[in-house]
Amino acid sequence: MSEVTRIFDEIEHGDPQAADRLLPLVYQELRKLAASKMAHEAPGQTLQPTALVHEAWLRLGGSEAHLWDSRAHFFAAAAEAMRRILIDNARRRKALRHGGGQARVDVQEIEIAAPADDEQLLAIDETLERFSVFDPQKAELVKLRYFIGMTIEEAARALRISEATAKRWWEYARAWLYAEMGKPGAT
Amino acid sequence: MSPMENAPQGSPPAVTSSDQEESIFNRAKSLPAAERAAYLQSACGSDEKLLKRIQLLLDSSERAGDFLEPRAPAPRPSGTIVVALSPSEKPGDFIGHYKIREQIGEGGCGVVYVAEQTEPVRRRVALKVIKLGMDTRSVIARFEAERQALAMMDHPNIARVLDAGATGTGRPYFVMELVRGIKITEYCDQNHLRTAERLDLFIQVCHAVQHAHQKGIIHRDIKPSNILVTLHDGVPVPKVIDFGIAKATEGRLTDLTVYTELHQFIGTPAYMSPEQAEMSGLDIDTRSDIYGLGVLLYELLTGRTPFDPQELLQEGLDQMRKTIREKEPIRPSTRLSTLLEADLTAVATRHGAEAPKLIHLIRGDLDWIVMKALEKDRTRRYETANALAADALRFLKSEPVEARPPSGLYRFQKMVRRNKTAFAAATAVVAALVFGLGLSIYLYSQERQALRKEKQALQRAIAAEKREALLRVQAEEGLAFERKMREITPIANKLTTAGFFLSQGLFEKADEVMKDVPLVLPQSASIFNVLGEQHMRRGEWPLALTNFSKAVQVDPTNHLWYQHLAPLLVLTGDRQAYQKLCDQILRQFGSTSDPPTADRMAKVCMILPPPNANLQTLAKMADTAISVGPTDSDWVFYEFLKALAEYRLGHFATAVDWAQKVVTQGAEPPRSVEAYAVLAMAQYQQQQVSEARATLTAGREFVRQKLDSYQGVNWHDKIIAQTLMAEAGALIQPSPSPVQSEK
Repeated sequence: MSEVTRIFDEIEHGDPQAADRLLPLVYQELRKLAASKMAHEAPGQTLQPTALVHEAWLRLGGSEAHLWDSRAHFFAAAAEAMRRILIDNARRRKALRHGGGQARVDVQEIEIAAPADDEQLLAIDETLERFSVFDPQKAELVKLRYFIGMTIEEAARALRISEATAKRWWEYARAWLYAEMGKPGAT
Repeated sequence: MSPMENAPQGSPPAVTSSDQEESIFNRAKSLPAAERAAYLQSACGSDEKLLKRIQLLLDSSERAGDFLEPRAPAPRPSGTIVVALSPSEKPGDFIGHYKIREQIGEGGCGVVYVAEQTEPVRRRVALKVIKLGMDTRSVIARFEAERQALAMMDHPNIARVLDAGATGTGRPYFVMELVRGIKITEYCDQNHLRTAERLDLFIQVCHAVQHAHQKGIIHRDIKPSNILVTLHDGVPVPKVIDFGIAKATEGRLTDLTVYTELHQFIGTPAYMSPEQAEMSGLDIDTRSDIYGLGVLLYELLTGRTPFDPQELLQEGLDQMRKTIREKEPIRPSTRLSTLLEADLTAVATRHGAEAPKLIHLIRGDLDWIVMKALEKDRTRRYETANALAADALRFLKSEPVEARPPSGLYRFQKMVRRNKTAFAAATAVVAALVFGLGLSIYLYSQERQALRKEKQALQRAIAAEKREALLRVQAEEGLAFERKMREITPIANKLTTAGFFLSQGLFEKADEVMKDVPLVLPQSASIFNVLGEQHMRRGEWPLALTNFSKAVQVDPTNHLWYQHLAPLLVLTGDRQAYQKLCDQILRQFGSTSDPPTADRMAKVCMILPPPNANLQTLAKMADTAISVGPTDSDWVFYEFLKALAEYRLGHFATAVDWAQKVVTQGAEPPRSVEAYAVLAMAQYQQQQVSEARATLTAGREFVRQKLDSYQGVNWHDKIIAQTLMAEAGALIQPSPSPVQSEK
């Protein structure tokens, strides 16, 4: 039984702490998966976050047999992991551009299709962080949609809310973040 | 604990300011612009701040465009997430004109129902709803593209595809002729069909596939669950279903989409051809179906697929693809004999046979038929489904089959393909050999044919009484040819073996193989040459000499072999042999018009002072070389040759000029040293003694710094450089530092 499957089991048996252990595993798996893909792809290929996450789910032993709780936790962890990977990449590239030779460069940079260019990605992430202090649940929805490309329908399932609610939250969150980004002083 | 609390976001859904904002915002947003102001007034009351906030949000929402929205609609997530839980069609529902009756099957990519068609005719059909979250429009567009061709298919062993469309929920569906049957493999096993009866069904399937191919339709997903057997008056009839559907639903299985469609992909890897596993997506042709038929036959014979589907799944996507592309499946008979006793007995029982007899029956011809259909390289598979069927039929009639066990050479090539990197080193040598051999054998037989035609003409001309004598001549000729072939073949085999060993870095073994190869085939020269260079690298001069000599002997027309042999003879001090070789070189290449050949051959003949008789030819060769002009990339080589030739001819002033050019250019080590040597000698001969000494010293310095450590490919040039330096040193009277150390 894989580590992840064990965690799923524990979640399904009601251990609330188990979910915390998912993030590092999922993060590691996504990076590994992306690296192994890059190694086999022609240069210039980029990987789609959605595809990566779904493959990671299957590789880590995810199946339809798992309860929704496990899936929800998994995709929450995946969204966070993907966010970190994308942000790390963006920061590293920025550092390199600005001559920060000390920035660590992986042997092979993982090219994952980011939803926006580096500057914008970092700006959005910062704003999103503020939003998540203000309203963590709606911020979670944004993460699922924005970083791993989930549809409204999927994100609703993952968050256990109705599609209509997800839609309303989404519209609100978009407006909130857009307004916040437009403020003077915002990055 | 409620599920909500267990959800990952953690915080309890209390009413927060954001919830209040959100509900006013969304409510206002849903209202027509005219009613918004009034609503906001009433909702926010006296809270000016909230009102302004909501107005800002509404304004932002207007301007946000597609801010944060996932960019492209594709790639869609896997069906496991979305569709598995969405409600499926129920009996009584309508999809298009079709009324759903009951579900009859569920596969990797869809659910199959019996449905009732009411218009234009009333009949029962099979309706397959694709369950993946695929792009319905493109699926249907791809189907439409093939609809015309599909309509042309009319074969008793093909279930017709009648229609396609989109369901109310937007999923694509296909309507097919309803086939009430079971999977071909199950039918065979349940009825204990013997191998011959299985082959009989299989041949019918091949003919059906052939029919589709002739109409331009490739199935792309041949597997037992797509071949159903029904009984017509007690006679089993196989029907191939799902024609045209794989193409429409598969679309471009590119790397980007495959992960999202992983479930569909892993549904059938056991039946996937190497080129489909490659997933370049575009290059699928009828031969992929031949492969599919090969897998089917394999399964009909052994009850197993060539690759274990469970193992494939465990390997992960990349390894799975690699396995399908590169791993040779085990032969069917071998597969059976490696089964556990109990499993084997079970398979045999299903075949209505005893285990040993079953293995014996399959071993040989059936093995080769299956393996030919399963070739990784599709050009080696059967050309058509009919050809495969014909071979199966030949087996049934106990006639010789077309499929053959792979030849030695072919196996060798396969090995090369599997160990690409290891073979890269000597690929050139081996390729030249294989090609050269084929060519020489071809030419030989051509020659013989020409000869025979001549004789035939003669035969017509001469009187009948001489016919007997002529026939005898021909017979002798035939014998001579056979003798020649008998002589050539083992040599060819040795060359191939040696080439293989070299490619593996097994130099001693190659040397061993080549030791007493008769010097008959010119193609052996390149092998001898490689061996010679290897010995050279190890300082084994005599052995190097032997190999280079053999290369020259077996292929005297290639100047490259002399380029190595001549300097080596100088190095070993065999002046007599060297001069003899030089004479041979000048006879062979003295009047060449190819500048590189002229350069290399003239140069090796001037390492030591040449006899006067050769000087004119050498001068002419040097002129051939410099005729290319200074724009040539090899110009510096030719400049040096000219310098050397002028020196040997006694034209010291011009020799100084030419050598000076090379020295000032700073050419690579051997060439620079050669030029220093010639320059020093030419200066000395012109009585410029101090200049000559200075040049010599500079040359020696260059030797110490650059040439001694030179390990480049031009080792033969290094010998020339060292020899010329020694000559210069001896001429100019060495200063204290001994020249002899240069060797």
